[in-house]
Amino acid sequence: MSLLDITDLTVTYSTDSGTVHAVNDVSFSIDEGVNYGLAGESGSGKSTLAEAVLGLLPGNGSVESGSIEFNGRDLTGLSERERRDVLWEDIAYIPQSAMDSLDPVMSTGAQIRQAIQTHRNVTDDKARARVRELFEIVGLDPDRIDDYPHEFSGGMRQRVTIAMALALEPDLIIADEPTTGLDVIVQDKIIDKILEIQDRMDSSLLLITHEIGVIAETCDELSILYGGKAMEQGSVDNVLVNPTNPYTMGLKNSFPEIEEGDQDPVSIPGSPPNLSEEPSACVFKDRCPFATEECEASHPDLVDLPNRNHRSACHHVTKAAQMRRDATDPETWGIPDSHDESDRGEVLLETDGLEKYYEQSQPLLDKLRGNDPNYVRAVDGVSLRVRRSEILGIAGESGCGKSTLGETIALLKQPTGGEFVFDGEPYEHYADGNMREFRRKVQIIFQDPFDSLNPRQTVRQLVGEPLTIHDYRTEERERAIVETLEKVGLTPAKKFLDQYPHQLSGGQRQRVAVAKALVLDPDFLICDEPASMLDVSLKVNLLNLLRELADTEDIGIVYISHDLASLVQVSDRLAIMYLGRVIEEGDVESIAAEPKHPYTTSLLAAAPEKDPTVDRDRVLLDGEPPDPVSLPSGCVFAPRCPKAEDACRESEPGLDTVRDGDHRAACYFPDGETPDADGLADDRSDSTYGDPEFSPPASGDSASD
Amino acid sequence: MSEFQRFLAKRLAISILLTLVAVSVIFVVLRLLPGSPFESLVTAGNLSQQQITEIRAMYGLDQPMWRQYLSYLQSILLFQFGYSILRSQPVWGVLAPRLVNTLILLVPALVTTAVLSSLLGMYVGWNRGSKLEKLSIIATTFLRSTPVFITGILFVIVFAYNLELVPAFGMRSISASPEGYVETFASLDFLHHYILPFTVSVLYYSGDFLLLARNGVVEKRGSEFLKLHRAKGLSEMQQLARAGRNSMLPILTYFALRLGMIFQGLILLEVVFGWPGIGRELVLAIQQQDYPLVQAAVFIMALAVIVANLVADVLYAYFDPTVSTSGGGAA
Ligand SMILES: Nc1ncnc2c1ncn2[C@@H]1O[C@H](COP(=O)(O)OP(=O)(O)OP(=O)(O)O)[C@@H](O)[C@H]1O
Ligand code: SF4
Ligand code: SF4
Ligand SMILES: [Mg+2]
Repeated sequence: MSLLDITDLTVTYSTDSGTVHAVNDVSFSIDEGVNYGLAGESGSGKSTLAEAVLGLLPGNGSVESGSIEFNGRDLTGLSERERRDVLWEDIAYIPQSAMDSLDPVMSTGAQIRQAIQTHRNVTDDKARARVRELFEIVGLDPDRIDDYPHEFSGGMRQRVTIAMALALEPDLIIADEPTTGLDVIVQDKIIDKILEIQDRMDSSLLLITHEIGVIAETCDELSILYGGKAMEQGSVDNVLVNPTNPYTMGLKNSFPEIEEGDQDPVSIPGSPPNLSEEPSACVFKDRCPFATEECEASHPDLVDLPNRNHRSACHHVTKAAQMRRDATDPETWGIPDSHDESDRGEVLLETDGLEKYYEQSQPLLDKLRGNDPNYVRAVDGVSLRVRRSEILGIAGESGCGKSTLGETIALLKQPTGGEFVFDGEPYEHYADGNMREFRRKVQIIFQDPFDSLNPRQTVRQLVGEPLTIHDYRTEERERAIVETLEKVGLTPAKKFLDQYPHQLSGGQRQRVAVAKALVLDPDFLICDEPASMLDVSLKVNLLNLLRELADTEDIGIVYISHDLASLVQVSDRLAIMYLGRVIEEGDVESIAAEPKHPYTTSLLAAAPEKDPTVDRDRVLLDGEPPDPVSLPSGCVFAPRCPKAEDACRESEPGLDTVRDGDHRAACYFPDGETPDADGLADDRSDSTYGDPEFSPPASGDSASD
Repeated sequence: MSEFQRFLAKRLAISILLTLVAVSVIFVVLRLLPGSPFESLVTAGNLSQQQITEIRAMYGLDQPMWRQYLSYLQSILLFQFGYSILRSQPVWGVLAPRLVNTLILLVPALVTTAVLSSLLGMYVGWNRGSKLEKLSIIATTFLRSTPVFITGILFVIVFAYNLELVPAFGMRSISASPEGYVETFASLDFLHHYILPFTVSVLYYSGDFLLLARNGVVEKRGSEFLKLHRAKGLSEMQQLARAGRNSMLPILTYFALRLGMIFQGLILLEVVFGWPGIGRELVLAIQQQDYPLVQAAVFIMALAVIVANLVADVLYAYFDPTVSTSGGGAA
């Protein structure tokens, strides 16, 4: 008997505009001690499935049919009270968005204690001791159990939710995108932590994520969901190495990976299916390049492939090897195989030594005495240049100041020093009464779609709002809104116009935020991690969309992200930030192929690897970035740098320290130049980046059979 | 100094400044108003020019403006409000009982309604879409938007005239002549008179609290942290309690602000029920151009609002762990 047995589960939501069939006839089971992955695009029903298991479906969602057996007991038939006893004691949950999953007015320790004391009759002291222990396990300072959620960073909050999930040593942990929105390095650490602990406690894990790479590295088995249907499932080694379903192939193709830059990301064109009816044809048929009449007639059943742990739902599963070969060719998916080096236009934005310092608040007495206040140097002398039709990627860990930089060049924050020129006019020109014009030409897409979308407005109002504010295309408002929604892949637009943000999935919400920015036809776009909530395929779609906008509309784009992999895919040039300064800059190809700064190297190495047969050496950078108020003298990266020497601590290397054409880096001992460089550089050259996209079908077949 | 103390000091300083501004505005406005309290006396022929000069000198009105202002400041800030011109009685003696009457009516009403309506609001917010929700919103919005004297008159007609359950008017029977506050307020007779205006004010204030609480809970209901609370196995009531706790802040703040505004009385209510409160007194004093009385009443009202604001800020900072008490943000 398996630990969790899901049989023919069907979940629907009832909404004003009819029924949404979010999960249709999904079955799978998880054995004890197994890590099970659940992957699929946004809106494919992953979270819905998890919520159904936990009994956390919102009021308008209901389990239509099917059973969820946990240790032989059907969870769907439990009473409220019985269910409460199962929750957390047996099944714990790590929620999708750690940022807002903790009760803001309750200390973190108290929240964990509450979980313990709801189920066990223990004294406060015992519970506190356990919380301290848990904090220690997940790598948090046990003295901070009385701190409130807002006093922790995103990654630390995620650790708190993990600690909470571990509190009662449950049999099954359901983790819904535990790392979404965290930067790669933190993500790597968190996944590592979950695995380590789960290994020790021997519980099972249901890991939901859109990052196939994370599943490949951590799970034993997986299911790929699409349109609420399980398209393919089985052992990770089988499914990801030799996918037999066109959807899996497409998903795998679109997973951005750091390549030498010679291969375009192949995304699945089109958008997810309409879920308003029960599927009568293959749910993937509209986007599937291999669709035939047979596919129109019915949705294929999930069939066992002979002799291995592998099931696939496709009418043409027998032609899998052929499809696999074709799927690697972008033209199969109707994407012209071109990356015409668009001639980059005139310089649109230029900064020179741009600075944004925040004054730290200081005691009244010090102020009276006139002591100089301390400054947080969020942006510290950044010189950038963005041309029309060019995408500049800015990468770095959380807290490195990249968001502040974005807001400063969007003039949402006043620069405290340095030069700023946009479209030929200096900062003073805009500050002096021309801000309105600037605000229309320059749009920023924010990091957090939850904060930037007003929950009380419909999509129509949200997207239409900028039009009203700027009095732009007001006479054809509706058309402008519909056009833009379709541009960002919310099709059919009509269906979304009257929805509220809470009725959309995370990815759909993010796209509304993008549409809000695009509706004004801006000249310059600043995207601050717009893809953090998106699943792979849609993320690539968005990146391609940005690429297209840059090429055809002549707009300049700054794309800020912690996800170096997607930056490499989309950008023309890259700037790597660390503690407020740019430490490496240059053409994408040359940075991805030959990073010079040790920090860039470790960022590149932290990206997960989607091929389960490749063993990646994790490069876990030690420690956190230093306190931006009291920076070390010399190279700011020295405390964490594996190559640091005395010379590094004496004076700070400038960006021009290493120079190779357009490629510049601030490091005295750059990677790739000294052959006897340490392990960091070696790691990436042997395992992670030298590999071809993924093994060709023929050799792959033989390898795993 | 801890962060919180610093924050407190800042808020206090602001409040003191505001008080000074308010006091000065009162001074200026009252001096700018046409006419003086003596005019009516003069026109009635009761005072000779000689007497007027004497009285003016007695009240310090012959001094230059800035001197008047200084001595005004000094006394008003020490709560020395002087004598009512028309009643020849210390101002405090006139105002204090009125203020007490108003407060004894409105404070319990406000507290009652804040507790009951908020609880009801949270409950209906949690059970969104229920009949009770619609009913309570319609009822309280109706009560809130109808002028209070209409509700008052309606209640008087129904409960006092038709059902004859309670008296329609005043604070006590004409025959009663109690001495001191205790005797006044701790009597059945008072309670009898009290019930009707009390109920009307409870209803009048209920709408805001109900909506605030309901909206807060509705907003929190779909939030991620409640989902996690639910996943942890908290019961429905415990979840509601957390949602409620998370929507407490606006309610608390609003309560504090309302509390400050209560010092102005509810003039219309006082008129309808013949309740000798401070609102009515102020209107009378203005009509009679009784400057010292007006001055003192307005000062007390302004001060109450300022103090309430201060309290609201402090409560907010105290109950919301995320309020940065220092102000300046870092990256
Ligand atoms: N409360 C709701 N009411 C109506 N429809 C909903 C509701 N929640 C989700 N849906 C719909 O159900 C479908 C599945 O959503 P779900 O949140 O399970 O997707 P997901 O795979 O978790 O996506 P993501 O990767 O973006 O988190 C989507 O089409 C979504 O719009
Ligand atoms: S059944 Fe047809 S449409 Fe569906 S995945 Fe297979 S080939 Fe594509
Ligand atoms: S300058 Fe030195 S410390 Fe800084 S990155 Fe280069 S090797 Fe490391
Ligand atoms: Mg989800």
